[in-house]
Amino acid sequence: MIKVLSHLLLRRCLQAVLVALLVSTVSFFLMHSLSGDLAFRIAAGRYGYDMVTAAAAEAVRVELGLDRPLLQGLILWWQQLLQFDLGDSYLSSAPVIEEIREQFGHTLQLALSALVLSVVIALPIGLIAGLNPHGWLDRVSLTLSIILRAFPPFLLGILLILLLSSKLGITNAANASHEHGGLFLPALTLALSLAAVSSRVARDAMVEVRRSAYFNFARTKGLSDLLALLRHGIRNAAVPVIAYLGVQLVFLMEGVIIIESLFAWPGIGHALAHAVFGRDIPMIQGTAIVMGLLFVLCNTLVDIACMLADPRQRYLASRRADA
Amino acid sequence: MSAWWQQLPLARRSGAVLLVLILVAALLAPSLAPDAVSQDLERVLLAPSLEQPLGTDHLGRNMLARLTHALQLSFSLALLSVISAAIIGISLGLLAAWRGGVIEAVLTSIADAVMTLPVLLVVLLFSAFAQGEFWSLYIGLSFALWVEYFRVSRATIKATLVSAPVESARMLGFGNFYLLRRHLLPELAPVVGTLMLFGISTAILALAALGFVGVGLRPPTPELGVMMIELFPYYEEAPWLIASPVVTLGLIMLALALLGGRKEMP
Amino acid sequence: MSAPELKVQDLAVKDGKGNWLVQPCSFTLKPGVALSIIGGSGSGKSLLVQAIMGSLASGLRASGEIRLGNAVSRAEDASGRRPWWGHTLAMLPQEPWLALNPSMRAGKQVAESYHYVSNTRMGMAQAKMQASADLNQLGVAAASEKYPFMLSGGMAQRVAFAATRAGGAQVVIVDEPTKGLDADARDNLLTVLQTVLKQGGSVLTITHDMHVARMLGGNVMVMRDSNVLEQGTAEQVLENPQHEYTRALLAADPENWTQAMPAPGTGQQILEARGLGKRYGKQTLFSGINLEIHAGERIAISGPSGAGKTTLGNMLLGLVAPDQGSIALAPGLDKLKLQKLYQDPVSAFAPRLTLKQAFDDLIRLHKLNPSALPPMLARLKLDEGLLRRLPSQVSGGELQRLALARILLLSPALIFADEPTSRLDPISQQDTMNLLLETVAENASAILLVTHDRELAAKTMQRHIAIQHA
Repeated sequence: MIKVLSHLLLRRCLQAVLVALLVSTVSFFLMHSLSGDLAFRIAAGRYGYDMVTAAAAEAVRVELGLDRPLLQGLILWWQQLLQFDLGDSYLSSAPVIEEIREQFGHTLQLALSALVLSVVIALPIGLIAGLNPHGWLDRVSLTLSIILRAFPPFLLGILLILLLSSKLGITNAANASHEHGGLFLPALTLALSLAAVSSRVARDAMVEVRRSAYFNFARTKGLSDLLALLRHGIRNAAVPVIAYLGVQLVFLMEGVIIIESLFAWPGIGHALAHAVFGRDIPMIQGTAIVMGLLFVLCNTLVDIACMLADPRQRYLASRRADA
Repeated sequence: MSAWWQQLPLARRSGAVLLVLILVAALLAPSLAPDAVSQDLERVLLAPSLEQPLGTDHLGRNMLARLTHALQLSFSLALLSVISAAIIGISLGLLAAWRGGVIEAVLTSIADAVMTLPVLLVVLLFSAFAQGEFWSLYIGLSFALWVEYFRVSRATIKATLVSAPVESARMLGFGNFYLLRRHLLPELAPVVGTLMLFGISTAILALAALGFVGVGLRPPTPELGVMMIELFPYYEEAPWLIASPVVTLGLIMLALALLGGRKEMP
Repeated sequence: MSAPELKVQDLAVKDGKGNWLVQPCSFTLKPGVALSIIGGSGSGKSLLVQAIMGSLASGLRASGEIRLGNAVSRAEDASGRRPWWGHTLAMLPQEPWLALNPSMRAGKQVAESYHYVSNTRMGMAQAKMQASADLNQLGVAAASEKYPFMLSGGMAQRVAFAATRAGGAQVVIVDEPTKGLDADARDNLLTVLQTVLKQGGSVLTITHDMHVARMLGGNVMVMRDSNVLEQGTAEQVLENPQHEYTRALLAADPENWTQAMPAPGTGQQILEARGLGKRYGKQTLFSGINLEIHAGERIAISGPSGAGKTTLGNMLLGLVAPDQGSIALAPGLDKLKLQKLYQDPVSAFAPRLTLKQAFDDLIRLHKLNPSALPPMLARLKLDEGLLRRLPSQVSGGELQRLALARILLLSPALIFADEPTSRLDPISQQDTMNLLLETVAENASAILLVTHDRELAAKTMQRHIAIQHA
């Protein structure tokens, strides 16, 4: 098991490094493509618009390494990253790492609340619908799921704001830049979108298990329906649901970017959109890398959970680790 | 043809009909309501009428014209990026599966890294190159989407190449071109079809989401997300205005989801 | 303790539209006496036992009466028989490796019957010990701590058998017990069932394998198209069948095949292999195999499952590289002259291509004479209309003959047939095998046959290569 785990972690670490390098390379070229404008703006930020001279802008260019040959500049850029130096924000001049530390907590709070809320909504509905396929709960949840899927998170967010704004006293949420209107609405928006699909995955998993030869064998062996469900149903139905959480993480990340902006939630996604708007390249790089790494981390956790729930995957993974 | 249509599930048929209706509206309406830009400050926030079927916005522009122009824009950008992504992804997938070795290892690592980043994040990164420009969004979308085609086509082709039908065809003397035409492409086509539908909805959605957040296309371009943010402040006075881009985008998503017929895809 | 008598009176099954799926039938299962129900797929034999158990799919309706000892139950009242499950009446499902919970260790799946079902109400610790003892007695002690996917088919079956019996049931229904098992595993299972009978239990078996019915003895019932054609003691039915279908079934059993056509004189050498060996990971699959094949020869490869029979055949065709040794083709012999028939004929064809297209492509590629195809199809008793279909729309027996037609067009020197009939029912197995042997002889091709059926190999092949586990 330890061997399997270290194999998995090694693979995921490699992926993490690749992601960081990829984002950093794109950011580097971004910086180069914007170089003239960029140096001027930074110089202006330091000395005030009236004081900027061509010489001051040139000094900034040298400082950023924009005068170097492309390849040399890129290697230097990578070196900084590998020393965990993400630089300072062009806009606030604060170290990027400091800004992200603050935002990261908010994002994690939102994402986890959404995930937990979605599981709380989806799992019972899905499993019960699966116990009685084509029953009323199954039909109702199917219809709701189709409608919800047509309204991806940001549309759903807009609708929720439009519907609930007067009641909850949020005025013009899209323009409320600094004050945010609480965790509940953004988390609910994301959770509903996630639950729309995961409830169906849970339902199908349950139907599959109930149709399986091993579930029927458990019953003909003489176990009661409840015992057969507890001992042979739940765990096997959980495997595809957990695996699907991995798929949903991408969806959650995307949702976070837009939903944070929509609800002015001060997390990484909001910061990223803000940084793109202000062409704050160190912040773009920093936030994008952190989101990528967060995603790799979550996927690793999902892999481990799947292996714990499913001995077949554990076995296959150990075969892979041996090879 | 009709038999083929009959055997499709009801959900997919209704998705197809809905999508065709939306596309026809997008293609025809500009000739009916051609002017999407000129303002008329005397006639702002009008309710729908015979003359202005969807009303006018806060600058007195014709909403029907703006909406249909926005549809054209969304669909053309989405189609362009999805087709580019599919061509690049499938070619590289074919190359990786067929040649293996270092080429495969390098391509797979790159694809793995890109896969790790949500599509929207990649498009955001690329949109920073030239804000509000069509081409930076196009490149960003294609760059984010190709990996899906790469992953799926590589896996399908690898599995097909070692399958018994291919083994048997090789023993019967058939060459690589025949295997590609009769074995690999028929296996790939349905998967790629589903992926493309999914990709189109991802692209349309990403475009609207970025427009809405203010880092995509910019006003006065008629685009669904841009329209939503522009009309958002007027939702109390004229709720029908913001409703039309929101409902339209919802209908597109519904049509594509129904047509795709795969419930697992979010 | 001997089993209660199971008495079935006028048991019938209808579907929702009122069509008969099983016509009314009656029989008695006495303790210590086996009853085997024989029939092809679609004969209704599986529905019959599901009706007895009370596990029919919703939408199907059973009627009649079922008595077990002193208990009486109307067939339509399925829930009334639920308390019997595991305690007095149990069923060993077909394909036991699917019937075991994939995420629970095998020993636990046996133990839970002792803990939750058996009247002794053992504690879990004691139940686990009892389960290990059972598995040990069945010769699969090692399975206890393993997950089902790590077990071979034969092992999984014995685990499932232990789990079936642990609840204490004396009446056991066994559904297609030999499906997918090799000869050794089959004989093993038969021994286990015979032990149940000797101890006073009773066994109701569904099978299409005459050998199983013969070994279990007792009574036999033959079904076809929802009807019971005849029933009686095993000797009566198997030695002196009354019904034409029973006679055809018996004749189709390789054991009763008449010796195939005399061996033709061996012709020119086709290939020569020296010292062939193959490893799989750290394990040696086989080694030191020497072999010469001449035109017109009929050779069987035999050996236990997993010994590398298919690998050896593929190696001779050049599909797998040997780890040791060498293979030399006769000079001037094109690789095209070596062809293969697959166990599952579906896998020989491109799945989305019509058969006509597949044949046309082949004819065009090798510039063959298109007029050779119709007589070839006729020779193999195939209707030309079949060509309009996709491979998945043709029956297994027909598709195997189409695969044969396709390779015969290339006049092969050697055909490697990998279990070509093991998925067919006995009668189409016999048809297909006969046509294969006849056309091979007409072509003067050599044939290399992999089969797990010793009788079939003995009746059809001239010589045997045995490979053992290294």
